[in-house]
Amino acid sequence: MSVPLSQMWTVAAYVLKQKLSRRERYPLVLMLEPLFRCNLTCAGCGKIQYPAQILKKHLTLEQCLKAVDECGAPVVSIPGGEPLMYPQIGELVDALVKRRKYVYLCTNALLLKEKLEQGVLKPSKYVSLSIHMDGLREEHDEAVCRDGVYDRAVEAIKEALRRGFRVTTNTTLFDGASPLRMRAFFDEMMGLGVEGMMLSPGYSYSKAPDQEHFLRRGRTHDLFSKTLSNARKHWKFNQSPLFLQFLMGKRDYECTPWGNPTFNLFGWQRPCYLLQEGYAEASRS
Amino acid sequence: MTLQGWVPEIGEFLTLAEVIDLAFDYRGNTTVVRADGTEIEGYVFNRDREAPEPFIQIFDAAGNGPMRIPYSEIRNIKFTGRDMAAGNSWQAWLERREREKVEKAARHETGPA
Ligand code: SF4
Repeated sequence: MSVPLSQMWTVAAYVLKQKLSRRERYPLVLMLEPLFRCNLTCAGCGKIQYPAQILKKHLTLEQCLKAVDECGAPVVSIPGGEPLMYPQIGELVDALVKRRKYVYLCTNALLLKEKLEQGVLKPSKYVSLSIHMDGLREEHDEAVCRDGVYDRAVEAIKEALRRGFRVTTNTTLFDGASPLRMRAFFDEMMGLGVEGMMLSPGYSYSKAPDQEHFLRRGRTHDLFSKTLSNARKHWKFNQSPLFLQFLMGKRDYECTPWGNPTFNLFGWQRPCYLLQEGYAEASRS
Repeated sequence: MTLQGWVPEIGEFLTLAEVIDLAFDYRGNTTVVRADGTEIEGYVFNRDREAPEPFIQIFDAAGNGPMRIPYSEIRNIKFTGRDMAAGNSWQAWLERREREKVEKAARHETGPA
């Protein structure tokens, strides 16, 4: 598993503290969505399908930090929309680092090179740039519905690594993905020098506009088994081997929605990041 | 299949609570008709039918809000705004891409010799 020791230690100490205080349900990763706006319109994305007045809005820096403090999770993931379009992204990340939160900034990387050149983000052991990459050039550009995005993302990854950033990738596998091509993609990403790769199946969820290409359970296990069996030694994943076994259908886990609370313009999403059954005013709800 | 343009008829076969659930799932603006006949256009982002006084929450068409409206004050919800999820499927993108490829090839063939 490819997560720095200091991060593992912080998370382990946090979990231990929760256990000692007999708290059974606690958040591990806060999903903080400062805006829904994005500079891409991927067909599989359920996050950007809002009317214009909603897409124009974003959380204030104060709202973001209040949510982080209220939640208390040691890890904060900033997905979107595209977080690099958030006007105060630099200040937000700085404030999280000051609070010693481990931050995963999930970006499609279209604006990354420009932001790095402007000095908006600073390298830190607390900050990982998590680049959305859904496969090799052909598959990625198809998944994000625009040609040329893969090449720009690769260029930005190289630039970020050159500047000393922690860089990971996050990949969603949709129905029809080729295990062989995915394996070639893992080689390609590791060749670039990323710290680790994160995988998830394109879960079917009711708000996504494209239902057909999401994976059902059986297909998920089959696809991940073919993709991950005899994993090459140099592949590093930012997920525990147990989770990868779960994806391959070799292990079962109970759903723990409280582990991944989500905060956005609408409040605290119930019950978690993937399911959108409503919103609450306090994270405990 | 989109609900865009639909004006529900609430009655024996369709309850207000069901229409509110559909409005909550709808990815576009709707027009909430209040019991007093006034209307507010906006995006219904939340509803809680289990609350002691069930309510919806809405950002209006100018982005102001959130505003809370109790179920008891709602007469109907009309699906007046554009469905932002309609026509955005992956299939639609693949078809568009294929069409573009064919058009590009055709342009190439009929181009100057
Ligand atoms: S880059 Fe991410 S947020 Fe933007 S449209 Fe694609 S999946 Fe959605």
